[in-house]
Amino acid sequence: MVATPDIAAPSAPKQSFLNRNRHYVLLAPGVIWMVLFLIVPLAMMVYVSFWTQTTFAIKPDLTLKSWATFFGSETYFGALLRTLRIWLTVLFLTLLIGYPTALFIGQFVRNKTVQTVLLVACVIPFWTSFLIRVLAWRPMLGKEGAINIVLQKLGLIAQPIEVLLFTELSVIIGMVQIYVVFMVGPIAFMLARIDESLIEAARDLGASSWTIFRKIIFPLSLPGVVVGAIFVSVMVLGEFATASALSGRKVNLLGNIIVTQVGSLKWAFAAVVGVVLTVVMAAVITGLLRIVNLRREL
Amino acid sequence: MQQLTATRWVLALYTALFLAFLYGPFVVMAILSFQQGPEGGPQFPIIEWSTFWYKHVLGFAPPSRVAPLPIGEALTRSLTLAFATMVVSTVLGTLTAQAFRTHFKGSGFVFYLVVLGMMVPGVLLGLGMALVADQMDIARTWWGTAFVLHVVYTYPFAFLVMLAIFNRFDKGVEEAAWALGVPPGRTFRKVTFPMIFPGVLSAMLFALTLSYDEFPRTLFTGGSEVTMPIAIYGTFAVEIHPNLFAFGVLTTLFSFSLLAIYGILMSASVRRANARATGIQEDVA
Repeated sequence: MVATPDIAAPSAPKQSFLNRNRHYVLLAPGVIWMVLFLIVPLAMMVYVSFWTQTTFAIKPDLTLKSWATFFGSETYFGALLRTLRIWLTVLFLTLLIGYPTALFIGQFVRNKTVQTVLLVACVIPFWTSFLIRVLAWRPMLGKEGAINIVLQKLGLIAQPIEVLLFTELSVIIGMVQIYVVFMVGPIAFMLARIDESLIEAARDLGASSWTIFRKIIFPLSLPGVVVGAIFVSVMVLGEFATASALSGRKVNLLGNIIVTQVGSLKWAFAAVVGVVLTVVMAAVITGLLRIVNLRREL
Repeated sequence: MQQLTATRWVLALYTALFLAFLYGPFVVMAILSFQQGPEGGPQFPIIEWSTFWYKHVLGFAPPSRVAPLPIGEALTRSLTLAFATMVVSTVLGTLTAQAFRTHFKGSGFVFYLVVLGMMVPGVLLGLGMALVADQMDIARTWWGTAFVLHVVYTYPFAFLVMLAIFNRFDKGVEEAAWALGVPPGRTFRKVTFPMIFPGVLSAMLFALTLSYDEFPRTLFTGGSEVTMPIAIYGTFAVEIHPNLFAFGVLTTLFSFSLLAIYGILMSASVRRANARATGIQEDVA
């Protein structure tokens, strides 16, 4: 007991230095990592988009040429519009298809265990490699694929449907199936948090089920919708693998163009497409965050 | 009330259909993985049931025109990379979350900086890193440039998981340990760590699975030595064969065993905690 102060004394200044700067010591590794490997690469991308592109290399002579090429070309500007169109379609469909499931899990299943089991059942497909899941849509959608076989056996169609594979439709089907779970999860989470007495009170006051949904359940689930929409948007806007696998390289999104341009060493041009994509994404996320104040809601 | 019951049944039926939609491609894939080989293609009808493609994946099949998947090297690389990513991102995530337990200036900035890592699409980050490496003459390798990006991607997940754990954590227990003169290092080992262990385990699982399956970041920064997802991506350009489906089924089984290990460790940790709590109660009594 007596010895303790003696031992503690020499280490006291060191201790207090660590204590005073404890935050910085704990934060430094993570912050340095993120600045070096996240901020620097993104800044580099913006910078390089103004460089001069020669056949095989890039030179740090600033120019707007790559930008002019992007906005002057039907192909590239068209890819931007196509990306936006597919993103909106997938976002709308994931919400439309995912919401009823989330409603069932979050509101109608009151048993916590069953809720968890259902959510885990939704997540299990994620333990198969993403790329293999995308490829698995090919034998599903093809001319002699599972869907056509089943529909023909049922006598619903005489001829196989050919537009199912290697079209924009197949890309949309694939993306909806892959990303819909990111919509279901957050919405179900918010729905499960709704205080049941609120709904009972509304019912006692004579509100119809539709009114309860419109006035109570949907507004309270909105933060979940926004979180889900952010997840889906971020992933769909940055997509390229689903598009190239399911469209036979016919549907080119901004991501596909980046991959092709990098492949042919057109770094400056790839950087331009990257900056465009970043701007689109930032606008989308800011817009979505306008709908609800997430920091307050969560 | 009757209307409500009807709604419930409709929604239950809908959810069942929804799950069928989620599992459909997987089921088709599993069926087609038993296609006859090496002539049978990745489509219906099944010519003859066989396990040829499983043998092909595992390297037991006689050589044929279908090139074997680079299981040995690529899978080893992927697993090594995933393991390293898991360790580093869990450590970083825990450190940062630890700092967030008390308020400090600039916490908002740090929070968004870290979360940005999981928001930026992989293809952008891969491109940016490739540009940096290209200009600074750094060789692009799976264990270098790709590895740091994997951590950028998984560290935010680990951070958020640990943040949630620390939020529900009773600070009094730690303070009691300090008050009793236990040094901070020992307190962390003996008091803090056992309490946050379930969170650490979840963060590790997140990082491992995300990194193992990651490919847009690796595509531009991995260099010529491919990881497993890049090897699979390479087959997109050429003809695909049912060996990919067999591989998919095998990796899913592998993931399930990982999940099972996680479940066992998790319930063991919970049981130990319960046992300890009962022990303490008995001591008090």
